[in-house]
Amino acid sequence: MTRKSLSERSLGFLLLAPAALLLLLIVVYPIANLVWASFFDIHLAEPWRGEPFVALENYARAFADERFWRSVATTSIYVVVTVPGALLVGLGLALLANLPFRVKWPVRLGLLLPWALPLVFSGLIFRWFFDYRQGIVNDLLARAGVDALAWLTDPRLALAAICIAIVWKSSSFMALMLLAGLQTIPRELYEAAAVDGATRWQKLVSITLPMLRPAIMVALIFRTITAIQTFDIPYAMTGGGPGDSTETLAMYIQKTTLDFLDFGYGSALATLMFCLSLLATAGYLRYTRRSARREDA
Amino acid sequence: MPLKRRTIVWLAGVVVAVNGFIPALWILATSLKSETELMSQPITYLPQAPTLANYLQAFTEQPLLAFLWNSFVVASLSTLLCVLVSALAAYALTRLRVPRSQLIMAALMAVAMFPLVSLMVPLFKLMRELGLLNTYLALILPYAVLSMPVCTLVLASFFQDIEPDLEAAAMVDGCSRVGALLRVIVPLSAPGVFTAAILAFVNAWDEFLLALTMLNRLSMRTLPVGITLYQGEFAFPWPLISAALVVAIVPISILIAVFQERVVGGLTAGGVKG
Repeated sequence: MTRKSLSERSLGFLLLAPAALLLLLIVVYPIANLVWASFFDIHLAEPWRGEPFVALENYARAFADERFWRSVATTSIYVVVTVPGALLVGLGLALLANLPFRVKWPVRLGLLLPWALPLVFSGLIFRWFFDYRQGIVNDLLARAGVDALAWLTDPRLALAAICIAIVWKSSSFMALMLLAGLQTIPRELYEAAAVDGATRWQKLVSITLPMLRPAIMVALIFRTITAIQTFDIPYAMTGGGPGDSTETLAMYIQKTTLDFLDFGYGSALATLMFCLSLLATAGYLRYTRRSARREDA
Repeated sequence: MPLKRRTIVWLAGVVVAVNGFIPALWILATSLKSETELMSQPITYLPQAPTLANYLQAFTEQPLLAFLWNSFVVASLSTLLCVLVSALAAYALTRLRVPRSQLIMAALMAVAMFPLVSLMVPLFKLMRELGLLNTYLALILPYAVLSMPVCTLVLASFFQDIEPDLEAAAMVDGCSRVGALLRVIVPLSAPGVFTAAILAFVNAWDEFLLALTMLNRLSMRTLPVGITLYQGEFAFPWPLISAALVVAIVPISILIAVFQERVVGGLTAGGVKG
């Protein structure tokens, strides 16, 4: 018996080996390399300067770099607006999609399409929606008697337009997760509440939302983690403009490394980004561990 | 059911469907318009004189077929690699007594949340050192890893539901452990394998940042990056871009339309159970 379970265990590790190797090559080694590179001054375009060790200089530079702070502030705006925004819209979509439809596929596909649409494509399409002259948004505004708005060239409006695009794109995935949560709520709860004469609103507040809490938490954490990494949609809609008013941290890192070829500084920025998202991930792990323990109990 | 309630349900369905379909429908309409119709004010909603000229131009102005092919190759091969590696891992974590399997799974999920942009810089250097820039492998390997956590999760949830007796019976009949995995577990959890594959495929098909970084030769570009090349410095030929977008969206839309139930099941297994 011991021999069998021992060989079973070593077979287990053997089967885990390919995954572990890939993770080492694609994630662990690059992250270590990234942190290491952040202590050096590396300019790919100027190889004659060598790659001198500069200790924490890149980090000091980041903390004094206004554009870095602006990109962090912009990223925070996207997080603060689009995470609750996507939750509210997603919850609305999920509640609607949970109604008893006779034909289910248009609704299901209506939730799946935004999820499957590449982020860049969503960005391009929303750029087209918000186009000053030929965009559908300004046309609808004109029909309502409102003057055309310079959506993508006014810094504030550009932020708003990007937030709308992000909420549209991410709310349907949110809705799918919440819908799955809704479908696990036992019907008897609603029937009992109906016997007690509860209104629709009371049922939502005292049954649906509390029962949905785990699904909401997971969806919120996922959305926060992806919102911190926002890149594609602003990249496609404004390229970070006007000026750098809609530029996220991820976009600044990409420009620093691939356009300015400033790898040392870019690595320091990317390391900071990594630490930021580690915080969010830690939150996720803490939450899942806690709820796993609750299930065991 | 009273008529009023039926109308409300019907309206709710329309809202959800329209919300999802509108962007796709709008670019479909735009792709059929001519440049002159596009410029007319006020804007037209349905194309007045539908034309397929934009589609022809989309294929000649940029190597759209090559973009399609590149996306297809990268997405399928990374999916294959991902599902294979994830299946082995999921099997080890669910059916073999690997110590701390919960912890390994959590670590795997954590890895999936690392920001891609942080990985982009060192991965670019790594691929350059390995001489893999502008090869499919530079995307296949990272994409396989990116979908590995969710695929492992989906597969593990399917493997868990298979009766241990079935496997034991196979082994009594002379199958090895790995033989039992391949002949009993994998066929029985074919829906799970399939779901995992679709998720991995869509993830790879959609990715932009690494594709932008690793493959910069025009003929090697994947669709998400290739589509952005239709825009000029200042000009946005929207009918042309829309036509290219439609071509790029159709394959993935068909895929998810055909397998929608699978996809929803897989997505929510990754989310709710995680």
